[in-house]
Amino acid sequence: MKKNDITLIAIIVVIVMIFFVFYAFQKETGSTLVVTVDGEFYQEYSLHENQTITIEDEDGHKNVFEIKDGVATMIEASCPDKLCISQRPISFNHETIVCLPNKVVLTVENAKTSEVDMISQ
Amino acid sequence: MKKIRNVMLIMGIMIVTLTACGQPKKERYEASFLELFDTVTKVVAYSESKEEFSSKMDLIYAELEVYHQLYDIYHDYEGISNIKTINDQAGISPVKVEQKIIDLLYYAKDMYELTDGELNIAFGSVLRLWHEERTAGIDNPEDAKLPDPETLKEKALHCDINQMIIDEENSTVYLSDPDMRLDVGAIAKGYATEMISRYMIEIGLENSMISVGGNVRTMGMKVDDSMTQQPWSVGIQNPDTSSENQTLYILNLSNQSLVTSGVYERYYTVNGKQYHHIIDKDTLMPANYYESVSIICENSGLADVLSTSIFNMPYEQGAALIEQLEGTEALWILSDGTQKKSDGFDALIKQ
Repeated sequence: MKKNDITLIAIIVVIVMIFFVFYAFQKETGSTLVVTVDGEFYQEYSLHENQTITIEDEDGHKNVFEIKDGVATMIEASCPDKLCISQRPISFNHETIVCLPNKVVLTVENAKTSEVDMISQ
Repeated sequence: MKKIRNVMLIMGIMIVTLTACGQPKKERYEASFLELFDTVTKVVAYSESKEEFSSKMDLIYAELEVYHQLYDIYHDYEGISNIKTINDQAGISPVKVEQKIIDLLYYAKDMYELTDGELNIAFGSVLRLWHEERTAGIDNPEDAKLPDPETLKEKALHCDINQMIIDEENSTVYLSDPDMRLDVGAIAKGYATEMISRYMIEIGLENSMISVGGNVRTMGMKVDDSMTQQPWSVGIQNPDTSSENQTLYILNLSNQSLVTSGVYERYYTVNGKQYHHIIDKDTLMPANYYESVSIICENSGLADVLSTSIFNMPYEQGAALIEQLEGTEALWILSDGTQKKSDGFDALIKQ
């Protein structure tokens, strides 16, 4: 191999590496929390801005969730069973918190993939 | 000339890599439905496009909705005779039903035999009392109370599965005891999940996974970013929901089901004590052997049945049942937190 060939290979390797680093970085910082109510898109929030969000409709259905350090948690709900509050905080891609009575779903998007595909509960 | 060939070779490699990305590569998609079986249904599958995935999810939803309506014991649907209709007509008249109901009821009868009467869909009158008190107790925690023991005992006299008369020729079902009610809560979700999983393979989702309220069924393998195939990773929920670890174990599953029954699923609180929804047929009270029982086997209907039935059995009896069933594994979390595993369980754990 000539010197130029080695240079060319080195350049290609560097380009590929930059691409991967950029891709991984983008995956990290682009993660969002998508909220749907009754199956309809409601709002999308960055998982990297700490905030507390309240959703309330005219019938008095209310859910309050918190985003802190890339993790989302349901902290208050008007539903009778409160199962959504006892659900674990979510941060991995496609993880969800569901409030079944109020039909509110929080889903993480564009985040790191969890080691687990599904949980039997 | 040689130099040019080298450069071309490198370019050739690059083109191969680029087309590998640019090809109609199947992407992983996930969907969830909230409306069916009073729980959350999740589907994971691979499709060439979001549109293709969505259209298949519509098919799956429609199919699962059919089972949801037929196996419902609480609601009426226009133009449909379901299990509630059979209950409403107990002691009055046979009800003409679809084959999907007859198939479920026959399966439930087989499961009654297999579990030595532990899985009994004729237990509905007793379960209804618990259901009513639990629902009222969740809505009004201050007035929460237990069902009256005498009424429970009285209802328990009307749980003979042989009073369920199936006439296959005329496609009818009749409950000859007017006080008997069917409750398919311990079998219908798992059975429907199994039927849907076969449908998913039919419509081309050979590598996929569905969970109907935690009844997980895996098909084929998961395909990761580097296009290699590996088993699905399915976690078993930690019954200690306050623990930092969400899962007790992560299992490697392919073409298998995993179903867990636990005290944390559905419960209500009376005088500071929690009462869950899995009722022991002998004491007529929530069974208290375990925190949770998990079953792994191919058929999701069987896994559902076994997880509930074994939850209601002393450990030795449950272990003997698992032993005699080929390809079936179990994990018991006893009330004091100790774990028992069937012989082949450890081999499923993802390292």
